[in-house]
This record gives sequence, C-alpha cells and structure tokens, in this order.
Amino acid sequence: MNRVLNLAAFNIRVLLGDPTWFILSWALFALQLAIYGSLISRLVGSNLPNYFFFYSIGLMIIVVFESAEDVGRHFVEHAHEGELPYFLSLPVSRSGFLVAQAIYGVVNTLLKVAPPLLAVLFIWGNLTLAGALFALAALFLLGLGITGTMVSLSFIAFKAVDIYMAVLAGLSALLIRFSTVFYPLAVMPNYYSPVSVLSPLTYGADLTRWVLGFDPKYLLNPVLAAVVVTAIAVSTLSLSARIVDKIIEGVKAA
Amino acid sequence: MAVLISLSLSDMLVTALVMGRMISPEYFSFLVPGIVTVGLFTAATDTGRRIWLALREGVVQYYMTLPIRTSGLVVAYIISGGLGGVVYSSALLIIASFAVHPQNILNTILLLPFMFVLATGIAGLAAFFASISRRGEIYWVYAQALQVSLVTISTIFYSAQTIARYLPGPIATIADYNPLSLAATALRDSVFNGQLLDTTVLSNLLATSLPLAALGALAYWVILRTLRLRGKP
Repeated sequence: MNRVLNLAAFNIRVLLGDPTWFILSWALFALQLAIYGSLISRLVGSNLPNYFFFYSIGLMIIVVFESAEDVGRHFVEHAHEGELPYFLSLPVSRSGFLVAQAIYGVVNTLLKVAPPLLAVLFIWGNLTLAGALFALAALFLLGLGITGTMVSLSFIAFKAVDIYMAVLAGLSALLIRFSTVFYPLAVMPNYYSPVSVLSPLTYGADLTRWVLGFDPKYLLNPVLAAVVVTAIAVSTLSLSARIVDKIIEGVKAA
Repeated sequence: MAVLISLSLSDMLVTALVMGRMISPEYFSFLVPGIVTVGLFTAATDTGRRIWLALREGVVQYYMTLPIRTSGLVVAYIISGGLGGVVYSSALLIIASFAVHPQNILNTILLLPFMFVLATGIAGLAAFFASISRRGEIYWVYAQALQVSLVTISTIFYSAQTIARYLPGPIATIADYNPLSLAATALRDSVFNGQLLDTTVLSNLLATSLPLAALGALAYWVILRTLRLRGKP
C-alpha cells in the first residue's frame, strides 16, 4: 500500500508542479458563470426558476468530466511516451497501479471542482458543511465512473491514438448534449429524453443538484441517481482493472 | 472533420433545440447562425494545433528543407486555416439551411470572402499562440482560454441588447467588436433574415480580422526565421 501511495504522490507532485491548469479551470468557470450563466438565466427567466444555480452545477459537472477525461489521457500519454513499461516494471501490482491513477484522478478533480463549488455555495448563501461534503461526494463518484470509462477506452489508443482522441471527442459531445447538464429532462423533446437517461452525467448532475436543494420536480429520483452513479463507478473501475491486468502487458500506443 | 461536424450538429439539433424550448421558439433561429460561426472558429483554430505539433515534433525542420520561402510557408498556413474555416462553415450552413430557411442565398455567397478573412484572422491568432508556446502543453491553455473567452463574450448566444442591458459597458463593447459577434450578426441579418448586407458590420469584420492574421503570420515567420538561423526556436 505504501508503494501505491508513493506512486500516487509522485503523480500528484507532477500535477501540482504546474498550477496553470487549475488557475485556467477556475478562471474559465468564473467567466462562463458571470457572463453566459447570468445572461442565459435572465433569458430563461421563469421557464426554469433558479436557472443560474442549475447552470452552475452543470458547469461543475463539466469540470469533473474534463478532469476525469484528463486522467484517461494521462494514462494514454504514459503509453505513448514509453513511460508505461517503466511504471509496469515497478514493484507495484497492476491493481495498485490503477489505484494510484485513481488517487491522482480524485485529487485532480477535487482541486479543480472544490473551489468553484464552495464559491458558488458561498455567493448563493447556501454554504453548509453537510451540503458541500455530500455534493463533493456525488461529484467524486461521478468522476470515478468517468475515469473508469476513459481508462477502459484506452485500449483503443493502443491501436491508434488518433482514433482514441476522436472517440473521446465524439463520446464527450454525445454524453454532454444528451444529458441534464445544461437543461432538465422536463424540457427535452420526447425523442431525446430516452437517450438522456443513458448518460451517466444525467444522474451525476441531478444527484448533485438534489443534494444542494434544487427543486426536485425538475430532477430524477435521487435514490435512483445515487444507485446509478455508484453502479457506474464500480462497474467501469472493475472493467478498467481487468484491462490494466490483462491487456496492458507489453503494450505500446500506436 | 467528421468529429467537428458531429459536435456542431449536436449543438444545433440538441442544444439549440432544447434551449429554444426553454427560452423561446425564436431562440433556435437566433442560435443556429451562432453555431455556424463557432464551427468556423473551431476549424480555423486547427491551424494553431498543426503549427504547435509541427514545432514540437520537429516536422517543421522538414518543411524548411522544402523549396519554398519562409514567407511562403507562413502564408500557406494562414490560407489553409482560412480555407478550412470557410469549407467547414459552408458545410454547416448547408446543413443549417434545412433547420432554418435562409432568406437570401446571394448574401450567403457574398459573405463567403468575409468569412474567409475572418477564418484567416482566427488562424492567425491561433498561429500566434502556437508560436509563442515554448513550454509543454501551454498551447492548450492559450487555446482553451481563447475559445472560451471569445465565444462567451460575443453575441453568439445572446443579443447585443441583452449584454448591454445586464453587463457593464466595457464587456458590451468587447462583445460588439468581437469578430465572432460581427460574423454571427452578418449571418443572422443578411442570410437568415434577408436584410441588405451591412457595410459597417463587414468593414468592422475586416478591420478586426486582418490585423489578427498579420499578427499570427508575423509570429510564425519570426519563429521559422529563428529556427533557420539558430537551429532551434
């Protein structure tokens, strides 16, 4: 366990060595919320009360999604740049290697999403310890699920990095557009809503909003959302553990 | 290209449609020309990514062995960015015309050269950031900051009146003179609403885009010249 933590600590030190990405993430979050969020919420008006708050949670889901995507890309870059064989030669089990990657992902996600979350709750006058902790837990679970998906998809990169990047871009577009990240299920046309319930972001977004007290009539059942988010995290992480265990040996990214 | 088209299509047929249901039915027609403009922006900024990759992976050394002058190489990159933007946005305009009926096809054709100049300006800006990115992945920081700030502070998602009404004056001014706002306004008014081409909007579009193209060309030229003289950027 100590070795796994050492490996995770090494990755985290590299991450913290360049704070540019964190500052950029927070700055762009603030810009989008202050301009896009404030203007669109005025245009939406009473059609969806409190849209500004709805949007701010959606934006946090995007931060979590991008951060988890980052972990998958990081994993693929290790392979692409020839570092993966080195990591695999370390006296750490394959599952330990995956745990180290997951810890790196969690720290990356929490550092990017916690300050915006706390700032939004503070500005909204809704900052409570329990609310912030439960919201972070929901975002954390969602982040784990997305990380598992991205690492599971990395086997594509072992055939062709370009195809992996294209799949990632296409998948991101579909998962975000067909979800309740920026609009609730209630306003979606009937032909889109069945697709939206297939996106894990729908459950993560609605669960976080419910935890933070958004009007439940616009949200999915929170128990269902919590079950789905947890199930996705467990299943995709198990799948990525199998991939790391069975497929990764001797592989190099094309 | 297929990924870019799918991104813009999902913006048009999912996001714009649902936001239209949430805001007003007219919002869909308002947003579609904006999405075409964002598509042009995305295609044109690919020039920056290609320059950054060429510098990072050393392909640029090969380019410099070709029987072409440095200035020719720079102009080729900027023009390819412009053409990429126009080809992509034209494809999007054709798709968009099935969703929102264009009122004046002739204006669309007349606007194409201006869209080309806008795309060269954006390609120039991306080339500038690619040329000054010396450290690791810093180009992507610039690219992301450029995209989010230019698209957010523009009239792509909301009208100039809405911005002026709710946000401070300087932000409204930046949004007014943002080349993406000018292009979106020209498309909305002249192509989809059938109004006459507004020469003020078009001259502002040229005045804001051409300096960006020149800036990018100059930055890339300086990098290539430094490479030729010193062997490294």
